[in-house]
Amino acid sequence: MRLLLTILILISYINAESGILDINWPKLNPKHQKPSTPYPNVLTKGIKDTKLPVYIPSNYAYDEKMAVVADKDFYTISFFIDKATVMIAGDRSYQESISKSDTKFEKVIKESPVEFIEDEGVMSTDFNRHGVNYTLSIECEDYTEDERCKDESFLRNLYNRLIIVGGKK
Amino acid sequence: MRYFLIALVALALTSCASKDTDTGKVKEVEQTWKGKGFTYYPSGQLIPSNSGRGRYGDNYIYAPHIRFPLAYAPAYLNSQVYGIGGRYGPRGSLCDKRNYQYPWRDNFCEKRNRKRSMPLCPTGTGHQGVDIRAKDCRDNTHYAVAVEEGVITYIGSYSVKLRGISGRTYRYLHLNKRSLQVRRGQRVWRGQKIGRVSDNMGSTKTSIHLHFDIKQTIRFGNRSKRVYVPPYASLIDAYKRLLRGRP
Repeated sequence: MRLLLTILILISYINAESGILDINWPKLNPKHQKPSTPYPNVLTKGIKDTKLPVYIPSNYAYDEKMAVVADKDFYTISFFIDKATVMIAGDRSYQESISKSDTKFEKVIKESPVEFIEDEGVMSTDFNRHGVNYTLSIECEDYTEDERCKDESFLRNLYNRLIIVGGKK
Repeated sequence: MRYFLIALVALALTSCASKDTDTGKVKEVEQTWKGKGFTYYPSGQLIPSNSGRGRYGDNYIYAPHIRFPLAYAPAYLNSQVYGIGGRYGPRGSLCDKRNYQYPWRDNFCEKRNRKRSMPLCPTGTGHQGVDIRAKDCRDNTHYAVAVEEGVITYIGSYSVKLRGISGRTYRYLHLNKRSLQVRRGQRVWRGQKIGRVSDNMGSTKTSIHLHFDIKQTIRFGNRSKRVYVPPYASLIDAYKRLLRGRP
């Protein structure tokens, strides 16, 4: 009886709904996958174990001052530009699995276009590609004056420049 | 007799957060908890002014077993914007003692001045986390701590992000940058100090508080979305554990 109770308690602590998302690997652009000039070590070493397509804005791909935090199921790369920080993160984990009839999550299920949103002074966008969820954002030192955090055009431009620079199947 | 008692208990529970059938408005009823005088309004019951619509009655604990994000109790979860001294609140000081007392008040989904895409809010927009005041109004004094074991993935001008081993991302805003006890890429354990609560918002100041939010991925069929989820019920649960001395 005690064993059964222990097992039940252990099960309640494990979120049975969580897991890892399947990836529909895209046909990769060989130019990006094997660039003529190798990507900086900080990038290639940082994402060597990452098992999802790693996107970054092409104009920052050779920035040696980037900061990479990655593991097999996620990555976060930050770029430090003039009085602001650009961040791109990808994550293939999920924490909740729901049925499409679940009314509690009605608006989550609804298809929505990619939006660029300012919140707490941070301009950001969330999007899904190949089954993986990504966030691209910019945080400004002076969010009240800096147009990059007030207007979406800067971030939209970065979004349009995203390329895959790594990640293994 | 048993069914009568069950019905009586159910009635008592629902009456704590019921809607007035005449006006359709939510009654202002505090929920009490036996211990340390902690009281709180129900989930999604925002300040009854023009502060928007919360996720009323959603008591689901999206982030189970997290530690409370401030090191010590008491702490006060309430609105910075619609509370006393806030931009849209009654006149007064942000340090007014009424801002530093129970009951807690949910402010997830609270209406703010800019567009925010929030699929879990009734209006589709709103505040993506909750604001928490520490024990008192002293700046750069009270520590925020890791709610879960994980890794610090991002540090910006006034943001720190922790990705927990659960895969959830926790965002801590307005910590004093010089007080940070963590660096990018550092692994942290549950309860480890991150930094001190302040009014840091880059070159602009805000009130002294911690903005805390939780982002996680919801899967439906072969699709998924990463969204901000309501932290209120998870934090009530975490705070009760903190008050019991078992955070």
